Amino acid sequence: MIFLAEAPPGTHPTISICQAWYCTFNYDSLISSAIAIVVTVAVGYLIAYRLSHGVPGKLQMLFEFLIGYVRDLVQQSVGEGGGFIVPLAMTLGFYILVANWLDFFPLQQPVHPANADLNQTLAMALIVIIVVQAYSLRVLGLWGYLRRFTKPFEMALPVRILFIPLNILEEVVKPVTLSLRLFGNIFAGALMVYLIGSLITFLAGLVTEGGIASVLGGVLTPITEGLLILWKAFDIFFVGTIQAFIFTLLTIIYFGMAREGLEEEDHSAHSRPAEATAETGG
Amino acid sequence: MNHAIVLAGALIAAGLALGGGAIGAAVGDGLAGNATIQGTARQPEAQARLQVIMFLIIGLVEAMYFINLALGFYFITAVASSVK
Repeated sequence: MIFLAEAPPGTHPTISICQAWYCTFNYDSLISSAIAIVVTVAVGYLIAYRLSHGVPGKLQMLFEFLIGYVRDLVQQSVGEGGGFIVPLAMTLGFYILVANWLDFFPLQQPVHPANADLNQTLAMALIVIIVVQAYSLRVLGLWGYLRRFTKPFEMALPVRILFIPLNILEEVVKPVTLSLRLFGNIFAGALMVYLIGSLITFLAGLVTEGGIASVLGGVLTPITEGLLILWKAFDIFFVGTIQAFIFTLLTIIYFGMAREGLEEEDHSAHSRPAEATAETGG
Repeated sequence: MNHAIVLAGALIAAGLALGGGAIGAAVGDGLAGNATIQGTARQPEAQARLQVIMFLIIGLVEAMYFINLALGFYFITAVASSVK
């Protein structure tokens, strides 16, 4: 196995500050995410610095369009009091987009696409889910929050009790799928680049062998190189963009799901939506 | 010897997982495309909006396949390095 002998993508060099498991860091992921954070913040400050009330620049126009789009989505699925979701979802989505697009440059170790480390995507997903649960508790109150685990509301009580384990499972699985989806896509993209690259090395080795093998190698090498370019463009500009968008969208949808049961009439005594709106609006 | 058997098993398992995942992703892409074509045929003016949703669904569907690919590779490397 040639590709097992080299260090494949997915093995991260670690650095340990103390001897316990919780202070071992994948320092390559730290470097990559630091670069992505710096670029994200720099672009944000650049837009804020060149902000104008008159004719907006192209970048400002793009951002105003995106923020308007996200605001409309929040308005549709969450409604009143969801103003604080716009910056959270926008920041996460824009950071993921930048981190994915940085993969366009030929990165060398120890820099790799920042989202190709499960620790990074899991951290973002956990932040989203913790805020979602806190928001759910705040909007529905403790009783309404517990009542939400007995979905679907229109069924009889014994049936709803049967649904409790499924609902708990649904809440637990949310951060797992949210993080694994992004990680799997970006990691598989890096993996495919690595595998096609090793195929090119293998074919280049064939050329020197002579006979029919060298003809085969000479024909297939340019095709494989074109395949690599095609895959990289698809991976970064289609998969990377779509995954950033999906992460943003699912964040908003989870917030929308967190207030299920608020519109039920028999539930109105336990919830205080007006107070929550006053606190979180903005 | 033990290592070779485990490695062969891991490779076959990864191949099966990739094949099954590819079937699922292909069927899902086909369903999304089918629904988009039907929607566009009925309401040609909705094509732009339908296309955005279609690409979103395709992204969600293919995510499952890519998770398969990444985890399959993870399992191969983990199994191959743990069994001596």
